[in-house]
Amino acid sequence: MGRMNRLLNKSLKSFTIYALIVLAASVPAYLYLVDSIWLRELDEHNEIVADRTENELNKLQLSETELNQSIVLWNKIQPGTNLQKTTLEKNRKDSTYTVSRKNPYVTHEDIDRFRGLSRVIEINGENYLLTLETNVEETEETVVAIAILTFLFFLILVVGFLILNRRLSVKLWQPFKNTLAKLKAFNLNSQSNISFEKSNIIEFEELNVALNKLIEHTVSVYKSQKEFTENASHELQTPLAIIKNKLDILLQKETLTDRQYQIIEDINNALTRVSRINKNLLLLAKIENHQFDDNETINLAELTIQCLEQLQEHFLNKELSVKTNIEKDFSITGNKMLIEILINNLLLNSIRHNSQKGTVEVKLNSSGFIISNSGNIALDKEHLFKRFKKTSNENSGSGLGLAIVEQICKRHHWTITYEFQQETHILKISF
Amino acid sequence: MKILIIEDENDLADSISEYLSEEKYLCEFAKTFNQALDKIESFNYDCILLDIMLPDGNGMNILEELKRQDKQDGVIIISAKNALDDKIKGLQIGADDYLTKPFHLSELSARIYSVIRRKQFGNSNTVRQNELEIDLLAKTISVHNHPVILTKKEFDLLLYFVGNKNRVISKSTLAEHLSGDFADMLDNHDFVYAHIKNLKKKLSEAGCESYLKTVYGTGYKWEG
Repeated sequence: MGRMNRLLNKSLKSFTIYALIVLAASVPAYLYLVDSIWLRELDEHNEIVADRTENELNKLQLSETELNQSIVLWNKIQPGTNLQKTTLEKNRKDSTYTVSRKNPYVTHEDIDRFRGLSRVIEINGENYLLTLETNVEETEETVVAIAILTFLFFLILVVGFLILNRRLSVKLWQPFKNTLAKLKAFNLNSQSNISFEKSNIIEFEELNVALNKLIEHTVSVYKSQKEFTENASHELQTPLAIIKNKLDILLQKETLTDRQYQIIEDINNALTRVSRINKNLLLLAKIENHQFDDNETINLAELTIQCLEQLQEHFLNKELSVKTNIEKDFSITGNKMLIEILINNLLLNSIRHNSQKGTVEVKLNSSGFIISNSGNIALDKEHLFKRFKKTSNENSGSGLGLAIVEQICKRHHWTITYEFQQETHILKISF
Repeated sequence: MKILIIEDENDLADSISEYLSEEKYLCEFAKTFNQALDKIESFNYDCILLDIMLPDGNGMNILEELKRQDKQDGVIIISAKNALDDKIKGLQIGADDYLTKPFHLSELSARIYSVIRRKQFGNSNTVRQNELEIDLLAKTISVHNHPVILTKKEFDLLLYFVGNKNRVISKSTLAEHLSGDFADMLDNHDFVYAHIKNLKKKLSEAGCESYLKTVYGTGYKWEG
């Protein structure tokens, strides 16, 4: 699985990127806007100054020499302004321009930008070209100012997103989290139905409705499957009984040959296996259906010894050496019948999957119940407890023994593990 | 000896009756709950085989009815259910034994034999076959009036044979009888042979006729 992200973080990332793009795009837009407003205002300003200059100079009614002196003086004291005689026509269109120039009054390198207007004005009937220049804010400075401001807004947006996100993820997702918690706690086997809290958000309500439908369906399928196992097992008992009894009768026929007897015996053995599988399936269904109480206090030590005694002849038959290390009177709470089945299944396995003259060791104390026996090859851990998964080529078992053991452990909240160490199969139940 | 078979499954009832009539038991049938009630009210039986799952009623109620009428008939419950609760309840109400389907007819026959002996011979429950004497109550045997010590399993086997006189009993049947629920989980049934060998040896050493015959190689038959 890759790195996991929260859903809201995903949208947050997209929102942030989008905001960044929009805000970044806004910088040139603002720049263009501010600059053009600047220039227009300055053009207007320059025009007003030009109009005033023309009017004032005409009002003065200066003589030609006085005028020329004034113009020289004017040009001297008003840098950025220039007035000089021209041969251009009076009705020539005004021209505007932008120019950058070094500032001569400061020592450090500084370039200033100017907006200029040149217009032909008429003073005392003669045409003069008036040039006016006004300082404009430089583009670079405007860009920096706008960028800083935009970045500040971007930061405010992101911080806002983060805070909102945190708040929303708690509030907005609450119904979802409730649903999720219920789903996590749901156990098909517990036979309890699930009820989701009502939500007024369409998406969550739809989810709940869909989940409810799914769960209802699953529960009903699960139930009918369990019922099927149980019913099928029950229904099979009678025909099995009939076959078995007919074979018993056939066995009494005096004309039977040895070969026929052997065939009957083979059928009998197969039939016993079918009955066993049938009974075990029924048992599994019943364990899963919680049809057993488990509040008895059981002297597990005594029960284990009892089971060992019952099977003693089979240990002897295979010449197995049995070592026991059982804590006296060690007791647990559970269902006696199930625990007896569990012990017997494990012990029988230790006999069946053992070599002639092998060893069996049974250990019981508060840390757990361990049954180990000698063997050649490690068994497949993954399939060992699965139904009908044959882990050895020996095929007389029902294929359900360890599945039942595992179910019984589950039922009592114990864990069972399998290890293969030093030519020994070790099955350990931890209480 | 009269036996009532309360069983709705015809094939099963027929097989049981066929096997039992060889033992000179007289079998009667009841296929429904009501038929069964009629029969137990009108007649007395040595043993009643009761399937508790009947189409028109629960066999447990028949058991209660028997008790109410204070009948002394032996009752063996035969059930497709291997439920411990049913077993305990049935035995508490007054059934003498409980057998789960599917079972061998020889197993049923041995149980019927025991139930009838127990019901009818009460305190002096001994079976005699020439020089062999079996005390069912004390679970001891003697040959020519000398006690022979048998293990629990050997005695169990002997009784099984006596309850199935002149019947062929296969090794697998005996294995099932001896090891109960987990016979099929064992690799081989040699342990049956070991017990039988010991039983035969003890009997013949005590001077008992060899009534136990081997047939078809691995089958057994008690002659008597």
